[in-house]
Amino acid sequence: MRMVNLRAPYSARRVALVLAVIFVLGFLLLPGQLQSIFQQAGSPLGWIISWPLQAVAGIHDRIADVWGRYVALQGVEAENQQLKRELDLLKEQNGQLREASVATERFAALLEFKKQVLPTSVAAQVIGRDTGNWYQTIILNKGSSDGLQSDQGVITPAGVVGRVVKTTASTAVVLLVTDPNNAIAGLIQRTRDEGIVEGTTQGQARLKYIPLLSNARPGDHVVTSGLVGGFPRGIPIGTITRIDKEEEALFQSAELSPEVDPNRVEEVLVIRSSPIPTEGERLSVPKSKP
Amino acid sequence: MKGIIYSAVIVGLVPVQSVLLQHISLWGVKPDLGFVAVCLIGLLGGELDGLLVGLALGWAMSLFSAQDLISSVAMKGAVGFLAGFAGRQVVYLSPVVLVMGLLVVSCLAGLVVPFSVKLSAQQDLWWAVWTVVLPQACLDAVIGGVIYWLMWSRLNIEQLMSESRM
Repeated sequence: MRMVNLRAPYSARRVALVLAVIFVLGFLLLPGQLQSIFQQAGSPLGWIISWPLQAVAGIHDRIADVWGRYVALQGVEAENQQLKRELDLLKEQNGQLREASVATERFAALLEFKKQVLPTSVAAQVIGRDTGNWYQTIILNKGSSDGLQSDQGVITPAGVVGRVVKTTASTAVVLLVTDPNNAIAGLIQRTRDEGIVEGTTQGQARLKYIPLLSNARPGDHVVTSGLVGGFPRGIPIGTITRIDKEEEALFQSAELSPEVDPNRVEEVLVIRSSPIPTEGERLSVPKSKP
Repeated sequence: MKGIIYSAVIVGLVPVQSVLLQHISLWGVKPDLGFVAVCLIGLLGGELDGLLVGLALGWAMSLFSAQDLISSVAMKGAVGFLAGFAGRQVVYLSPVVLVMGLLVVSCLAGLVVPFSVKLSAQQDLWWAVWTVVLPQACLDAVIGGVIYWLMWSRLNIEQLMSESRM
């Protein structure tokens, strides 16, 4: 039995092949600025696709909800026992927290100031994941029409999720903190040493460029430094699990366990603008006239 | 009619790829349905159909991915055209041969990606081959083979190919 039958060659197709190769190569050589034009031109297409995308995401959420409530109830009893133990522990902690709350009141004025400084944010829902395998991203149901744009920070109450890398009119793509291509300015809370947080191929994160003299240790919390990027200072990123010191290296690095599990994120906040003044604005340096 | 089908494929494939495929991913890798669709459309519809649908699908999928637009569009367009060109050379193609072809082409296309997009230093070629390229190629080949086998067993593929290319 023959599996493949070859047809006679067709010369016109060869011409078309050459033209197609030239077209594809020409497309590859387009400068970066033209890519953004295509990205903007694709916004209506993205808006059209966002309708079935949100519909499928909605159906998917409902099915997941039904599954979670009625089907996947195996092991609920064990979970219940564990929750009861956790409740006892939390009751004990609650007493301690009541004491702490008295001290917290003293910082009320400070918090009020913080509220004023905190940037405006937009709540968004996660409706999908990256269409490819090369990047770890999530897709949000808010886009450029809601004021979202590239490089804005994305957080949950638990900590940093990632940053916006692409938008259409009604959706946005967020590169997760665990992606190796992401870089966020981080700060070790205890030692005040700064570094760059990037993802790893194992789905964790790593703090790079920690000074050699730093006494950072496992268990230290890493937060955003607020120096660059779309994040204000002090948003939790992760906890150090291991310190890596290589011989003759200029810096040390640390492995982090991210505060947010990107695979379970459902709702996020996008930091739309950063009202935190830059050093120049803060010191009222006059702008040079053109 | 073909235009409507292709538009439905482009609009419908992106939600399926980004929402539903996360549940059938193996080792965190999911098949590229866009690649499979472009290959099949190219094979059945010819070079022009493969090229145009590949370009459009690459563009649509890049809007919902961090991958840059140029590499996505060029890759899908080239794959669609080459599938059409390959399909033009054969009059009969068994599902087994198609699976092998998809496996090889998906591997080759996957190997081009690390060079065409800006990946981090951690993501070297070795990592790419073992964690993304090979698993994705296997998934692409299996899914493409199943779809083609279903069409092959229920439809007259040769007639379909000759009609769609007229």
